[in-house]
Amino acid sequence: MVATAATSSFFPITSSPDSIDSKNKKLGNGSTNLGGIKLKPSASSGSLQVKANAQAPPKINGTTVVMTPVEGFPSEDAASSLPPRTFINQLPDWSMLLAAMTTIFLAAEKQWMMLDWKPKRPDMLIDPFGIGRIVQDGLVFRQNFSIRSYEIGADRTASIETLMNHLQETAINHCKSAGLLGDGFGATPGMCKKNLIWVVTRMQVVVDCYPTWGDVVQVDTWVSASGKNGMRRDWLVSNSKTGEILTRASSVWVMMNKLTRRLSKIPEEVRGEIEPHFMNSDPVVAEDNRKLVKLDDSTAQYVRKGLTPRWSDLDVNQHVNNVKYVGWILESTPLGIVESHELCSMTLEYRRECGRDSVLQSLTAVSGVGNLGNMGEIECQHLLQLEEGSEIVRGRTQWRPKNAKSFGKMDQVPAQSA
Amino acid sequence: MLKFSYCNATDLNQALVQCRFAGSFGPLSSRRRSPRAAVSCSRSNLTPIQAVLSCQQQVGSDPVESELGSLADRLRLGGLTEDGLSYKEKFIIRCYEVGINKTATIETIANLLQEVGGNHAQSVGFSRDGFATSPTMRKLHLIWVTARMHIEVYKYPAWSDVIEIETWCQNEGRIGTRRDWILKDVATGEVIGRATSKWVMMNEDTRRLQKVSDDVKEEYLVFCPREPRLAFPEENNKSLKKISKLEDPVQYSRLGLMPRRADLDMNQHVNNVTYIGWVLESMPEEIIDTHELQTITLDYRRECQRDDVVDSLTGPELVEGSKIHGTNGSATAITREDDLDCHQFLHLLRLSSDGQEINRGRTEWRKKPT
Repeated sequence: MVATAATSSFFPITSSPDSIDSKNKKLGNGSTNLGGIKLKPSASSGSLQVKANAQAPPKINGTTVVMTPVEGFPSEDAASSLPPRTFINQLPDWSMLLAAMTTIFLAAEKQWMMLDWKPKRPDMLIDPFGIGRIVQDGLVFRQNFSIRSYEIGADRTASIETLMNHLQETAINHCKSAGLLGDGFGATPGMCKKNLIWVVTRMQVVVDCYPTWGDVVQVDTWVSASGKNGMRRDWLVSNSKTGEILTRASSVWVMMNKLTRRLSKIPEEVRGEIEPHFMNSDPVVAEDNRKLVKLDDSTAQYVRKGLTPRWSDLDVNQHVNNVKYVGWILESTPLGIVESHELCSMTLEYRRECGRDSVLQSLTAVSGVGNLGNMGEIECQHLLQLEEGSEIVRGRTQWRPKNAKSFGKMDQVPAQSA
Repeated sequence: MLKFSYCNATDLNQALVQCRFAGSFGPLSSRRRSPRAAVSCSRSNLTPIQAVLSCQQQVGSDPVESELGSLADRLRLGGLTEDGLSYKEKFIIRCYEVGINKTATIETIANLLQEVGGNHAQSVGFSRDGFATSPTMRKLHLIWVTARMHIEVYKYPAWSDVIEIETWCQNEGRIGTRRDWILKDVATGEVIGRATSKWVMMNEDTRRLQKVSDDVKEEYLVFCPREPRLAFPEENNKSLKKISKLEDPVQYSRLGLMPRRADLDMNQHVNNVTYIGWVLESMPEEIIDTHELQTITLDYRRECQRDDVVDSLTGPELVEGSKIHGTNGSATAITREDDLDCHQFLHLLRLSSDGQEINRGRTEWRKKPT
């Protein structure tokens, strides 16, 4: 899990001056959607983009498009070097004016409605292979996914595992397109020198609406600071056609020494590497601070034992992929709840990773029915642990009755008789 | 899951002639059950995709379904080929579909094969309920079930590779149909894999096999390649090989496998691809570490449900004239004297409770490329 976690984070490998250059270069960018033209290094994510192009497989990385800058112009600009002469820099100044106006508007709009900051532009480039691209001045990564038939569950909607797989994919692709997957652990040079890696500690997912087979969802992801020594990665999943928000998620990461396995503060050198890539936004999901209780045999109402990883559950480091934990957690959730309700919210705390030879058990307790002011909502507590006792994940889930919400076009297709 | 192709106007005419329905749109109208559909599917200069979309929107009773279908079609990277007799789609390999070898797992490949088969059927306007049954089949409570699946992979795609899968179906004997696939790497154009599968028709209530009746055949025969087109045209190819049943005592086993929620389809049966994972569970680790799966053939005998517990058994497949290495229970059959890097195994999945066979399989493994 650690390795997987690490590679899912986001690490710049440029040092500060380059980043400042990149911010200056943003000013000269046009706001036009260049429709898939590969932007050369002077694009707003600037030097990061250089490295992405250098490292990414040439046959794939042709769809990076940079949109208008959103966040205001940073005040810490220092002198910048001249950007190389490229197509972008030869755009006339009127587009810069347009960009500035759009930026101000978007920034203002974003302040008003946090969840609705994405402009709805029907002419947005459709990402042909679902590779994804950097948008919003290089700080946000966007990727589309078409829901495949094997990703839907028994109720014909995408499973929560599918949604979380998409989140994981965009996180890794974010790093990749910014040229950050150096040694496979995704650590910055500063982190590598000190044997540091990122580890996910907490994840919150709120699902407003589940997509179905054939739907196309758009996933946006970005990173921010979390406290003094952590990092937060947020995701926003929307219906790519209507813009309706489907899912919001937020994860918290801390730095750990991979040899001693002890948590570490972010060293100054590393802070300089990563901070330019933080978006200073509010969390996309309101943090659920309630303590997660540890279940045991006496408090758990449902237990499923003998859970073992299959070969396909393992990542390249032979650790179990994080997302599989969610499936195991749901194994002990009573079928009655799973059949009549849908998961609307989930909070997970990650404790330990497990590997091929682990044998796990999943415990569930129903902790609340009809509370939180919502009729019919159910809350459960969960524990996933090795049979010998070590905790892997603690969790809390909330469930609402199926078809309780009516969110326009994304209603589940009524079951057809076969 | 189903897979019927659709053809454009020109081929429709040709096919109709060949199917003894010259000059009429009889089968098409009856299949669609909508006069408007017959008109829209007839002579026009629509490209296959447009033809499909326009027909899609007129397929009877489910407006929500057709709207979702057309959006997905527009954004999907797949469509019918020029002659309308096969379907191609591109897929990008996602990071979570990649396994310990840094390449797509065989389950991912199998999932994509199933996906493209379903999309093929859906592009023709058949039901999206997961069984891709035609209207006549639904009326008669008939569904397709997989009898055999055979996949060969020559080169596994890696994360973010784009592959293109072409699929088509045709008649096979009196009770079956077959679906074939060819997988190509989009970047290089090379064929990276081939697969074929055999399906039989079953009554979903009685669970008994049923012959493919003429009216069902009419519905799809029109749209299959007229000449047999096989992904494995070579004689005596491995997709035809009979699989022997593994007998006790078995060399390797993994007992007590249970379906997870995610393994179950809409009718609470374990989906086909899960069996592949179970078969591999009892593979000896020393082979998994050093070799990659080249070929897998599975014969599906009995379906498996949520509460079943399954044992996975593996043993070397002994070939005539082969050399057996090792003596202390680690015997592995080598196929050819000069090819020490290839291993073959037989597999059996059976119920823990009473030993009933669920499916049997055969795999071939080659040394991992360095």
